Amino acid sequence: MNLRLIIAILAAKLAMYLSRLTGRGRGSSLPGMLALRIYPELLKHYQGRTRKGVIMTTGTNGKTTTSNMLADIMEQAGYRVVTNREGANLITGVATAYIKSGTLTARLNCDYAVLEVDEAAFPAVTRWIRPNRVLVTNFFRDQLDRYGELDTTVAKVLGALKKLSGDTELILNADDPLVARLFKETGRTTMFYGVCPDAALSSAAAYSREAKFCPFCGVTLVYDFYIYSQLGDFKCPQCGFARPRPDIEAKDVISDAAGIKATIRGSGAYGGTWSLFIPVRGIYNAYNALAAFAAALSLGVAPEKAAYYLTKYIPAAGRMESFCYAEKQVTLTLVKNPTGFNQALTSLLAYKGKQDVMIAINDNDADGRDISWLWDVDFEVLVRYLNQFNGFICSGRRAEEMALRLKYAGVPTCLLTTERNYRRALDAALHGEGAAVGILATYTALWPVEKILGQKAERVSNSADRVPSVS
Amino acid sequence: MLTVCHLYPDLLNLYGDRGNVLAFVQRCNWRGLPVRVEEVNLGDPVEFADYDFLFIGGGSDREQTLMAADLKARVTGLRAAVDNGLVVLAICGGYQLLGCYYRTPEGREIPGLGLLGFYTEAGDKRFIGNVVLETELAGKKTKLVGFENHGGQTFLNGLEPLGSVLYGSGNNGRDGLEGARYKNVFCSYLHGPLLPKNPALTDHLIALALARRGYASQLAVLDDSVENMANQAMLKRLLS
Repeated sequence: MNLRLIIAILAAKLAMYLSRLTGRGRGSSLPGMLALRIYPELLKHYQGRTRKGVIMTTGTNGKTTTSNMLADIMEQAGYRVVTNREGANLITGVATAYIKSGTLTARLNCDYAVLEVDEAAFPAVTRWIRPNRVLVTNFFRDQLDRYGELDTTVAKVLGALKKLSGDTELILNADDPLVARLFKETGRTTMFYGVCPDAALSSAAAYSREAKFCPFCGVTLVYDFYIYSQLGDFKCPQCGFARPRPDIEAKDVISDAAGIKATIRGSGAYGGTWSLFIPVRGIYNAYNALAAFAAALSLGVAPEKAAYYLTKYIPAAGRMESFCYAEKQVTLTLVKNPTGFNQALTSLLAYKGKQDVMIAINDNDADGRDISWLWDVDFEVLVRYLNQFNGFICSGRRAEEMALRLKYAGVPTCLLTTERNYRRALDAALHGEGAAVGILATYTALWPVEKILGQKAERVSNSADRVPSVS
Repeated sequence: MLTVCHLYPDLLNLYGDRGNVLAFVQRCNWRGLPVRVEEVNLGDPVEFADYDFLFIGGGSDREQTLMAADLKARVTGLRAAVDNGLVVLAICGGYQLLGCYYRTPEGREIPGLGLLGFYTEAGDKRFIGNVVLETELAGKKTKLVGFENHGGQTFLNGLEPLGSVLYGSGNNGRDGLEGARYKNVFCSYLHGPLLPKNPALTDHLIALALARRGYASQLAVLDDSVENMANQAMLKRLLS
C-alpha cells in the first residue's frame, strides 16, 4: 500500500467534489495538479491499468475533436473509456482524467484510455504512461511565446516517440510532411490517413504555410496540390521523401451547411469503401473524423460501426458548436493559431447569406500573450466577400488590435466595432441584420462567451435536427 | 512609385512579420501613392539600390543561418544602398544580423554583416513580453508599442538606439535602450505588428523613402482612429 498515492488521489477527489459543489470551474486540471504536487510519480501507477490499451492523440490542431470522436466511437462500441475531454491536455489534465475514473489505489475498471496530449507535455506524459497507439494530427505554429519554434515542437514529439519502448504503433496524417516524417524517423509500424488529391479542395492560400523544406535534405518540397497550409500531395525532388500512400483515404469530400460527407476508401489490411457523414463543417474536421476512424479500425472496431457512430458526434465547446437564436444559426469556434483561424474563416465564407461576426481575442497565458500571429491570418480573403457580412464586432482584451488587423486587411472601418464587454458584444452580434452569426474566440474568451450564449440561445445538439423551420 | 523589398519572406516569416510590409503598403495605398512589393528569396538576384524600403524579419536559428550565408555574398551592394539612404526596417533576427557578431552561449562568435557597429551575446534568460518605448521621429516624441521575444542581448557600442524603454526589457534588459538607428536604418526587437500599431513610425519611414527619391515628404493625413485606439489601449494598460 502506497500512502502517498492514496493521499494524492484523495486530495484530488476532494478537490473535484468541492469544485462540483461550488460550481466553480470545470475541475479538469486542478485536481491533477494537486495530486502531482503531492506525488509527482503518480501517473506511473496507471501504466498498464487499462485492460486493452492507451491511445494518445497529439499535434497542433484537432487534438480535442479527434480524441473526443475516438472516445465516442469506443464508448458506443461498448468499451469503458478513460478520457480527458474539454482540452485539459497537459500532464495535470491527464492525471485528473485517470484519478476521476479510478479508485483510491489507482485501480481502473476501463478497457481503453483515449487521451489527448499537448505536444509540449507529450514527453512528460509518455515517461509514465506507455501508449499502444499514438495519433498525430498536424504541426503548425502555435503560441511561440510558450512553445518556441515549430522545429522544437516536432523535435519534442519525435524524441519522445524514439524513447518509447515496445511496440507502440503510429497513426499519422499522410498529407502533412512534418507528421509523415515521424514514420521514417522512428521506423515504427504506421497506419496513414489522408485526403485524396482532388482539384475541388485545392487551396491557393499560401500564407502561413509551414515547412516549405524537406526535413531530410533541406530542399524546397514540390506540391502537386495543397489542401491547406502545408497539407497536400508533397514530394522532395532530391531524396524522394513524399506523401505516403494512405491506408485510409477520404475522397469526394463535401463540406456544406449540414456537415461533411465523404467516401472513405481503405486499402491493405483495411480494404473496403464506406460513406462518412459528420454533423460539423470544415475540411479540418474531415481530417479529424478520418483520424478517429482510422484509430478505431486499428483497435478492431468494425468500419461500418465506426462510421455510424461518427454521425452522432457532438462537438465539444468551441469546436464549431451550433446554437439557434431567433431562427438565426449561431456558430462558436475556438481560434488559437493562424492555420486554425484560416480554417474558421473558410467556414464563415461557406455560409452564403449575410452574417454578423464577433471575434474575441484575449492575450492571457492560456491564449498566448503574444498576439502577433493575427497578422499571419489571411483576413484578406474576407474582403472579396464583403457583401456577405453585416459587420465585425471585436471583443476581448485585444479588441482594438483585432479591429486594426481587419482594417489593414481591407475591411472598411464602417463595418468595424470594438466592444470589450462580451455580453454587449454578443448582443450586438445577435441583434445585427445578418441572418446568421459567426463567433470566433481565443481560449480564455471562449468559456465566458459560451456561457452567455448558452443563456441566450438554444444549443443545437446535432445539425441533423437543425433544419431551419422556414425552409 | 515606391518599391518595397521583403527580404526572404519564405524563410523569415516567423510571427506576424508580414504585418509590417502590409502596414507600409496600405498607408501608401490609402494616400494614392503607387507602391509595389517584391519578395526576394534565397539565391534570387537582388539590386538593393533599386528599392525604397527594405524589410528584414526574424526567423528560427536554422533559417537565420541560411539567410546569413546568402546575404553575406551581397553585402557590398547592401552597404552602398544603406549609405545612400535606403530605408530599412530590421526586426529580431534581421536586426542581429546587421551587427558585428552574435556570441553563442558556448562563446563562439558568429559573424554578422557588420553594417552597424553593435554586437549581440546570448543571454541567460529570454525576454518575452509587451514593450513600450519612447522615440523621436522628425523631432516629435512618440511612444511605440510592441511585443519582444528574444534570447540574444544586444549592446549598441555607442550607436544611436531606436528609443528608450518605458516598459519591458529592450536590447539587453540593462541599459534601458531598445533597437538601433543608423542613417535610414531602423532596427528593433519588437516583432510582428510593429508598424500597423505605430502609424507615426510607418509614416516616418514612408516620408524618408519619398524624400530620398526627391518627392515632397509631406504626407496626407489619414484617419488613424483605429490605429490610435490600439496603441492607446496598450499604453494605458502597460504604463498606468
